[in-house]
Amino acid sequence: MNDHIRNFCIIAHIDHGKSTLADRMLQMTGTISEREMTDQVLDSMDLEREKGVTIKASAVRMNYIAKDGKQYELNLIDTPGHVDFNYEVSRALEACEGALLVVDATQGIEAQTLANLYLALESNLVIIPVINKIDLNSARPDEVSDDLTNLLGTPGDQIVRISAKEGLNIDQVLDAIINRIPPPGGQGDEALKALIFDSHYDSYKGVIAYIRVFDGSIKTNSMLRLMATHTELKPVEIGFFGPDLRPVSELFPGDVGYVATGLKTVSECRVGDTITLVSNPANRPMPGYRKVKPMVFAGIYPVDGDDYSDLKDALEKLQLNDASLIYDPETSQALNFGFRCGFLGLFHMEIIQERLEREYDLNIIVTAPSVEYEIVLVSGETVHIDSPARFPGEEQIAEIREPWMKVQIFTPTEFYGTVMELATKRRGIFLSQEYPAPNRVQLSYDIPLSEIIIDFFDDLKSRTKGYASLDYQFADYRPDELVKLEVLVNDDPVDALAAIVHKKDAYHKGQRLVTKLKAIIPRQLFEVAVQASASGRVISRATVKALRKDVLAKCYGGDITRKRKLLEKQKKGKRRMKMVGSVEIPQDAFMAILRLGEE
Amino acid sequence: MLGWMEVHGVYLHFPFCVKRCLYCDFNTTTGTLEYLPEYVNAICQEIDLVASSLSFPLKIHTIYLGGGTPSLLSVYQIDQVLTRMRLSFDLARETEITLEANPGTVSFNYLFGLHQLGVNRLSLGIQSAVPAELTLMGRIHTVEEARQSIQDARMAGFDNFNLDFIYGLPGQTKANWQQSLDFAIENAPEHLSLYALTLDDHTPMARQIADGILKTPDDDMAADFYEMAMDQLAKAGYQQYEISNWATICGDTSRVCMHNMQYWHNQPYLGFGSGSHGYSQGVRTVNVVPLEEYIKRVRSDQKQVFPLSPANEIRNEIGETTRMQEAMMLGLRLTDEGIARSHYILLYQQDYYEIFHKEIDRLLGLGLLEWVEDNQERIRLTRKARLLGNQVFMNFVGDA
Ligand SMILES: Nc1nc2c(ncn2[C@@H]2O[C@H](COP(=O)(O)OP(=O)(O)OP(=O)(O)O)[C@@H](O)[C@H]2O)c(=O)[nH]1
Ligand code: SF4
Ligand SMILES: [Mg+2]
Repeated sequence: MNDHIRNFCIIAHIDHGKSTLADRMLQMTGTISEREMTDQVLDSMDLEREKGVTIKASAVRMNYIAKDGKQYELNLIDTPGHVDFNYEVSRALEACEGALLVVDATQGIEAQTLANLYLALESNLVIIPVINKIDLNSARPDEVSDDLTNLLGTPGDQIVRISAKEGLNIDQVLDAIINRIPPPGGQGDEALKALIFDSHYDSYKGVIAYIRVFDGSIKTNSMLRLMATHTELKPVEIGFFGPDLRPVSELFPGDVGYVATGLKTVSECRVGDTITLVSNPANRPMPGYRKVKPMVFAGIYPVDGDDYSDLKDALEKLQLNDASLIYDPETSQALNFGFRCGFLGLFHMEIIQERLEREYDLNIIVTAPSVEYEIVLVSGETVHIDSPARFPGEEQIAEIREPWMKVQIFTPTEFYGTVMELATKRRGIFLSQEYPAPNRVQLSYDIPLSEIIIDFFDDLKSRTKGYASLDYQFADYRPDELVKLEVLVNDDPVDALAAIVHKKDAYHKGQRLVTKLKAIIPRQLFEVAVQASASGRVISRATVKALRKDVLAKCYGGDITRKRKLLEKQKKGKRRMKMVGSVEIPQDAFMAILRLGEE
Repeated sequence: MLGWMEVHGVYLHFPFCVKRCLYCDFNTTTGTLEYLPEYVNAICQEIDLVASSLSFPLKIHTIYLGGGTPSLLSVYQIDQVLTRMRLSFDLARETEITLEANPGTVSFNYLFGLHQLGVNRLSLGIQSAVPAELTLMGRIHTVEEARQSIQDARMAGFDNFNLDFIYGLPGQTKANWQQSLDFAIENAPEHLSLYALTLDDHTPMARQIADGILKTPDDDMAADFYEMAMDQLAKAGYQQYEISNWATICGDTSRVCMHNMQYWHNQPYLGFGSGSHGYSQGVRTVNVVPLEEYIKRVRSDQKQVFPLSPANEIRNEIGETTRMQEAMMLGLRLTDEGIARSHYILLYQQDYYEIFHKEIDRLLGLGLLEWVEDNQERIRLTRKARLLGNQVFMNFVGDA
């Protein structure tokens, strides 16, 4: 009965052209008019457009008249490629029967190509490999095609070669979707089962649940129940994505669409929950999703204490659209009142920071990211601490455990040596190597997460001329010799500058940190002493000399405005700094520990 | 609005130089002398246009011919400009008429000519008495030529001249600086301007520093040089009246630069010439910079409402708040007199100690500001704050 429906997502490594392929399909099917068309039209957030990166998955329905003359309903979900947003991919997969696996013809298979492919295979999806960017001179489609055949067993003639940018062979992609991906199945007369695979918050319509109907159907006047939270509701509106919200009167089995719930909090309407009918409930919910856990933690503080409540409101609003962001109030001696926030990774953190600054116009200090440590106390109790500032005293600690990750690094074989060296330097333990394609090696390691969040990725990229890619998953907690590196400014410890480091690194990291801070902290009206210490021992100290000269010497023929503007600018810069005691510390200082790179 | 009768200063800009100095980011040009006659005509026309937009001759008490190198104008051309000024404005009897000159561009005859025309103050761009430093700066003259120019100026009748120096040069030593200070004191000018080197990123000298060819100038060293200057010039009988300026004051004859005082007192002035700045009737104006564009605009001959000129590229109405902020930022540069409260109240109908109470108390606490007398009538920078002016001034500008 729903033979005309195809549900699929587009998955790939970052930047391989998913969103651009979506553009072409939207155009060919006339879903978006030429007038409304822009590059990566589904990347609708400002930050996505600016960075040219998809952050949030988006769904859209297309109508397509195939070569056989029949009209099909194609539900497309474009997914992000960045490893931090991997959970968006897993969610989208559950709503689909097939996946387009896009591979850049110049880059070939990369880490998230594999990671996302395995996720799709776990969900039993039909995979359609697509080689993109064949318009580029450096494209090597034959090679990439062979690699894909080796990986998937798909014969070369079934691998579609396209240029999403030039709109080449997009019809072949559409035909493959129709011919190879099965229709969704599901029964209209069974009890309603609809999976919530994503959501966003709309200030008029409340939480909009993105759903995939598996069995049964939803009408505008159906009384609905969310099976996990037992929330009952009558939808404000139901409909499909066009890609904007398009209301309909009924959603059928196999459909992808939305339910505007009218609910005001995301906790009442969780992604992964199953929607059913109050009148005829399903026996069991859909399997749902594993809860995503934040991996990286950092403090966010307003530079000006008066902005605290604005910051709180902003975090609340961001969380409505991004349940993976968590935050709790936190107090720092140095920075006063703020929030401890949990993120999926550094990129996620950067995005939240930028959104707070731009969309909410907040002047904030973000402290260096930390992982969550598991600490066994002398008392025998185990505690979880995600902030160096809150570490118990050394005498109370029996053992410190830190999170380790399973890491896969994908690289051309020529960089084997330098990648090995990097992993070893970062306390990595080599596990295995595989050669998924000639000249390509996948190296697997266990590496502590704390080593990965300190410019591991940048280091990897620079060592491999940008060719290596990286994927990782949580492995387990392991004990190691870790110490707290404290920073004292004019003899007062600044909790927000503290870091947890490996004992063997404490000395040189302490020294480099002090050197860096000396360079970052501007000269003030008095001398500022900066010290690093660990286990009660001072490792390094430096002095920021008192400022002696800061004046505009000359007034060029009465140019007073220039003078005033310069002073205003200087004043603004000063305002962005945080007063810690009587010392002004710029935002950069709190991130210094991340940038101790060899110089 | 400000009274029509206020006495104005006039700044005339001549953006012509023989060769650009390596630290220079001023509005000037080289290889453009062919435009000079047209330019002089244009500046005269601009003076006439603006002056005649008033129905009476405006009172003027300072004229400053700056640049660039105004001493590249011939005596005849200077005469042309000053004659225009006298015809267009009501010049006070004791009008201070300053001309900036570079050694190496002036002869005795020339200077004599200028003095005859009524130029009564000369500002000589000496910059240094160390030959190697002159080379480093890319100056066109030698120390000997500088010495000669000073002698010629005296002979020509100038009894009021200024020497400009720059300190804080890359690699400059105390001994070097001492040499320049000695030179300055020996030649006994009535006025001295000592400017700390400030480099725009685009200047060749800044690039040489970035490339590691020259040493990065050391701020602490510059601060030491400044202290040396303050001490020695005081001993030599100079009074420091502004952050970078010293003058002799003998009885009734004060040689402070009246034209500059006009700026620091936030008093009105007109600017003529390309890229010049004016401030009158509460409007700050800036003229277009490119020579041809400037000449073209003036030739359009469109009369505007005073004090505007067809050559204005920017016209900024200064609001009441900004005006009061600027008065603080400028007045506090006067290291001796500071800002008098009664005078401020007279001009702005408000007491600065009321408006900026919080800021002033904090700065007093930090030892950056001080009351001149116990009655809290005048406030000024402390000695140590003279080189930290920005740390003080910024508190009085922008949003509270
Ligand atoms: N030359 C060429 N460039 C392409 C092609 N397809 C995409 N691009 C470019 O590749 C870049 C990335 O394209 P996107 O569509 O944003 O890639 P994406 O996979 O959606 O990226 P993420 O969502 O961030 O993972 C853009 O600059 C595109 O213009 C193509 O066929 N040829
Ligand atoms: S003489 Fe003055 S204006 Fe001319 S280039 Fe040298 S510093 Fe610049
Ligand atoms: Mg994308």
